[in-house]
Amino acid sequence: MFVSLEKLQKGFTSAGYICDEEVILTVYLALRLEKPLLIEGPPGVGKTEMGKALARIFHTELIRLQCYEGLDENKALYEWNYQKQLLQIQAGRVEGRYGRVDGDLFSREYLLERPLLKAIQADRKVVLLVDEVDKSDSEFEAFLFEVLSDFQVSIPELGTIRARHIPIVVLTSNSERELSDGLKRRCVFLYLDFPGIEREIEIIKARVPQAGERLTAEIARAVHHIRQNQEIRKKPSIAETLDWARTLVSLNMDRLQGSTIERTLNILLKSRGDQRVFREQIGADALEKKIRSSLV
Amino acid sequence: MRKINSRQAGKKVPDYLENNIVRFVYLLRSEGVRIGNSEVIDALQALQYVSLENREKVKTALKATLVKKAADAVIFERCFSFFFTPPETRERLRELRQQKIARHEHQIKEAEQVFTFRGEKMNLSALDKTVYAYMPETEKKRLRDFLEMNESRETLQQWYRPFLETLVKGRLRFWHKQLHKEIQEVIAQRDTGDEELNAIRDAAAGSGYGGRTILTEDMQHITRKELPQAAALIRRMARLLATRISRRYRYSKKRRLPDLRATLRASVQFGGVPFKLKYKSCRIKKPRLLLLCDVSGSMIRYSSFVLQFIYSLNAVVQRIESFVFAENLERVTPYFQQGQDFERTMTAVVRESGQWGGGTSLHSALKALMMRYGDELTGNTTVIIVSDTRTIHHREAALELEKLREKVKEIIWLNTLPRQEWSSYTTVAAFQRSAAMFPCNTLADLEQVLSRKFLSA
Repeated sequence: MFVSLEKLQKGFTSAGYICDEEVILTVYLALRLEKPLLIEGPPGVGKTEMGKALARIFHTELIRLQCYEGLDENKALYEWNYQKQLLQIQAGRVEGRYGRVDGDLFSREYLLERPLLKAIQADRKVVLLVDEVDKSDSEFEAFLFEVLSDFQVSIPELGTIRARHIPIVVLTSNSERELSDGLKRRCVFLYLDFPGIEREIEIIKARVPQAGERLTAEIARAVHHIRQNQEIRKKPSIAETLDWARTLVSLNMDRLQGSTIERTLNILLKSRGDQRVFREQIGADALEKKIRSSLV
Repeated sequence: MRKINSRQAGKKVPDYLENNIVRFVYLLRSEGVRIGNSEVIDALQALQYVSLENREKVKTALKATLVKKAADAVIFERCFSFFFTPPETRERLRELRQQKIARHEHQIKEAEQVFTFRGEKMNLSALDKTVYAYMPETEKKRLRDFLEMNESRETLQQWYRPFLETLVKGRLRFWHKQLHKEIQEVIAQRDTGDEELNAIRDAAAGSGYGGRTILTEDMQHITRKELPQAAALIRRMARLLATRISRRYRYSKKRRLPDLRATLRASVQFGGVPFKLKYKSCRIKKPRLLLLCDVSGSMIRYSSFVLQFIYSLNAVVQRIESFVFAENLERVTPYFQQGQDFERTMTAVVRESGQWGGGTSLHSALKALMMRYGDELTGNTTVIIVSDTRTIHHREAALELEKLREKVKEIIWLNTLPRQEWSSYTTVAAFQRSAAMFPCNTLADLEQVLSRKFLSA
């Protein structure tokens, strides 16, 4: 699946994923080197969205593996369909062909494909999104990097299954724990941070065009200012910024006002602690003034 | 970019792309970035897909393939900006290094001449001489005057030399502490074996480009303005520790609940008859964490760190018991369970606790801990001590610590003294016998400790 850098750039724009050139070049290199792309960054910067955007760009299926503590290969790779196997044994017994079923029981017919195997077995190049890989156990991570380095898996009863098409792999991590060197070594690394004001204006314009020029600029500046505060634990994500923009549009606002900021604060900050920090250290009216002065 | 003119001790270094990348990787490695051979190959392959004339694209390609940690990106930026420079700039850097070496050698020679008594050289280490070289001129003069005065007193003979050496060493030790940072920089400048790389490293280190960061600063020097940033870092680190603790499940061999899925699977080989019953293994309780923080006078400079550390750990770890100690032990867990914000919690702790700023008696604290809170000390408990090891009755304290070690799973000691000062304190060695001790003088130290494997086994 050859794609030029320019084409990829256009693809991201048409998929509504607005990002810096550095990000696009890193994705391009991961595609050319056929290596998994490991994206790290704070929550809400668009890591998962990157996988979805790639699927849209290449008009292909997105296979998602959501990681969590306790995830094992039975849930990620494959499992035998035991019920079906038992039924087959019972049916064979009734029909008097007991001895013959044994060999057939471990064939593809009885194999339940989980996301990793599904991505490897797919008829075309798919996007495999391994989301929040840092939430999985280190044992699973070790298993994962074996799969991702050779793009093949061994099933004892069936033998080795090689990928028909090497999938586009996107791994995301919130850095809750340090990933192993082995996994990192096999990936192209991208650190995604919150966008700057100008980039965020572009994002809002693309996703909430109804917001209008002035409101868009004010929202981007306000969110940027809130994110600068170190005491706020959960910084507003891009999705929350967009939700805020939609809310303000639905309230027929064409510019930010202290009272509106106060009323809609729960769209941006989802914890009581963060809202309190906002009121004590930033303040809705002060934020309005700050944005006005920076826009003048 | 391809043409980089390099010389090493008069020899021309091969001047092709692969060689330059390998040298650049060597520079990054010498700065602590972990890069494997496969990543070097990836970097070279990635460069095939970008225009080598475009500096930014080359940088992105190398960064994407060589840097695998957000924190390493700063080192990468610094090294890149100094490595990929025109030949003239490199030549200038090399000259600057030569001048610096010559200056350093001259100062060491001068030190050797100064530190003599009755025509014989004093027994001073290379470090002592380096410290002298970096002392302020007025202090150097005072030391020289002192030595000359002793030299002129005829009553003093060779027997006086060891005393004089001790006096001089004491003075130099004092200045080593004062000039700690500068001396560390000199010592840390390891020879890469490549003069050009040495010159680049020198320039990068002296550029201030990403030099002093809040991560590498002694925690007592973190300014009020930087506190929120430091607090955010400590919170993130505490979360890392909490994640690690929550993952430490162990499985029991005791049979409890049957596992239907595994039983069905096993029954396939017996024609569907559940001949072998499989059981779910039980999770044991998560490990207990016990935090013991020194808040005595000598630790008061680190109090904002200690408080933030206790608060952050309490916010993310459920099963944690927190104690502070100076002359006595005090349990502070309840303050942290009220779910109040940092300011209010800390005001309450400091106001109501009588320990702040007192003298240190680890011995009494440990004794009280074992007597009054013995139930908390099980084979499943990890004790974290934050202290600079300075205490009265340290021998008794070491014995108590040994007793504590027998009761708990492990003792981790976060020592706020910089590692190079450990050898000056007998307490460090005494407590190291029972506790795994880690330097915790900077936030970078703390990050390193928390990312160690000690809690993942």
